[in-house]
Amino acid sequence: MTRSATPKLGAYAFLAGVGLLAALVLGRAELAVLAAPFALVLFLGLALAETPDVRVALDLDSERQVEGEEVNASLEVRTHLPVSRLELLLSLPDGLESEAPNPVLLALDLDERRELELPLRCAHWGAYLVGRLNARVLGSFGLLAYERSYDQRRALKVYPRGEALDKLLRPLQTLSFSGSQTTGTRGEGIEFADLRPFAPGDRIRRINWRATARRGEPWVNETHPERNTDVVIFLDTFAEARSGEGSTLDLAVQAAGTLAAHYVRAKDRVGLVAFGGVLNWLTVSSGVTQLYRVLDSLLDAEIFLSYAWKDIEILPRRTLPPNALVIALSPLLDERSVRALIDLRARGFDLAVVEISPVPFVEPGPDELDQLAYRLWLLRRDALRASYLRVGVPVVEWRQGDPLQAALEEVRTFRRHARVTRA
Amino acid sequence: MTATALRASPGVDRASLIAVGAAVPLALLAGLALRWSGALTAAIVLMGAQQAVRLALGNDVLDEWAPLTAGALLLCAELAFWSIEPRIPAWSQPHLALRRLTTVLLLCLLSAGVGAAMLVAAGSSLSGGVPLELAGILAATGAVAVLAYVARRSP
Repeated sequence: MTRSATPKLGAYAFLAGVGLLAALVLGRAELAVLAAPFALVLFLGLALAETPDVRVALDLDSERQVEGEEVNASLEVRTHLPVSRLELLLSLPDGLESEAPNPVLLALDLDERRELELPLRCAHWGAYLVGRLNARVLGSFGLLAYERSYDQRRALKVYPRGEALDKLLRPLQTLSFSGSQTTGTRGEGIEFADLRPFAPGDRIRRINWRATARRGEPWVNETHPERNTDVVIFLDTFAEARSGEGSTLDLAVQAAGTLAAHYVRAKDRVGLVAFGGVLNWLTVSSGVTQLYRVLDSLLDAEIFLSYAWKDIEILPRRTLPPNALVIALSPLLDERSVRALIDLRARGFDLAVVEISPVPFVEPGPDELDQLAYRLWLLRRDALRASYLRVGVPVVEWRQGDPLQAALEEVRTFRRHARVTRA
Repeated sequence: MTATALRASPGVDRASLIAVGAAVPLALLAGLALRWSGALTAAIVLMGAQQAVRLALGNDVLDEWAPLTAGALLLCAELAFWSIEPRIPAWSQPHLALRRLTTVLLLCLLSAGVGAAMLVAAGSSLSGGVPLELAGILAATGAVAVLAYVARRSP
């Protein structure tokens, strides 16, 4: 442990010195008596000083947690020498908050072992390293301080809190593997499609007995097969709008996590493209492992300022499989992502844009000119949305506090009408 | 302390003593508010200075209250330095605060006892001489040696 003198040591040495000097100069023993207590404390404090032997261990009860929930940090403090005053601080990164007093003050006896529970609230999603502990022991009479840092870091992943979704966006085309998406074609499935006369090779269990009795010849049910699909979540990390604790990136990550969890649950293959200053992608795959891969990648999502022009040409081809449903989560603030999305549509991808609205994060200025600029900015955003709609891309505005399901329903409605129009 | 000093030394400039007396709580307040140990030290020095003035201008009789004054000065200093320590919820463990308070009070009593012993020694009718001078030199050398030892022994 690193030893250092406290201000009290210097002050007491000064007081004792001044008192004894004054006693000598003035020839009064009483002044030496006044200085004596400070000299006595100095003597006792330094004579009884011993380097403390404090050992600290930390463990977390969980490596993964959801935003808003708690993780318990268990601290074990041991010492071979008695410690009258131990201050223990667990340094917490931004995004984690202690629900118990931190730092804590302890007194330990000879060979004592103390266990402490420190509940930590996961206030914000992210990947954290928790466990840098700072211990400070005050020596006898508070003259010397012994400090030491303990590196007991443990990884803690805090995932964004998800949202319940009743219905997901259905892709225009599906894959040949079985899944939960009902296709428009006919085949082996559960969802009823139509009736047709019996043909050789049809299974008996497919015969619709009611229709058969009515028509006098065997008729069978036709069904829509359930297939899975490829879903690529396109996360725009070029720019964000931030106000206080919240930002458009936070909302986008929350929505991406929710969508990934629901699509994986529906046996679809899910991929991720974080398109921004730093490019990050995950090729499509299915299963719980892939869900954790996606969620872990989302934890790394950050806004990196970059002026380099980027378009979807730089994306590896396999990150955007043909016929994949691409769900873009973007605040539509950066020209590069705006162009990239239009480019995706031009290449025939089934694209839906959930605009993470930056409007609630922007306060118009007090001046008339600022108000005018704000209104012009809103109009430009409307024009941008209209340009997407013109090329057949559904774009919906999603604001903080609104259910994601509402935004998805809006996309579904647009796609239904768009298909009718094309027909 | 200011009142005692004023009463005991009528010949001194009263305004100076009152000014010094008024500076003590100001320095204490500043030290506590700013958490600055320098101001606390200055306040203790000023309190001691008042006593020094009183003793210097008073008669040659030993002040029998000096050990108690010394204990009170130490109590003031201990409590003041305790107050400017980093704020930690100490009262979540009241026994710690109680234990520390007891230690401080015992230390003050011990200081008063040591002071009284010193006062008795100073008031004794021992006349000077080679043995006494030798004892003084040995005591001073021993004190320096002990201080050097305790300063060096910690890592």
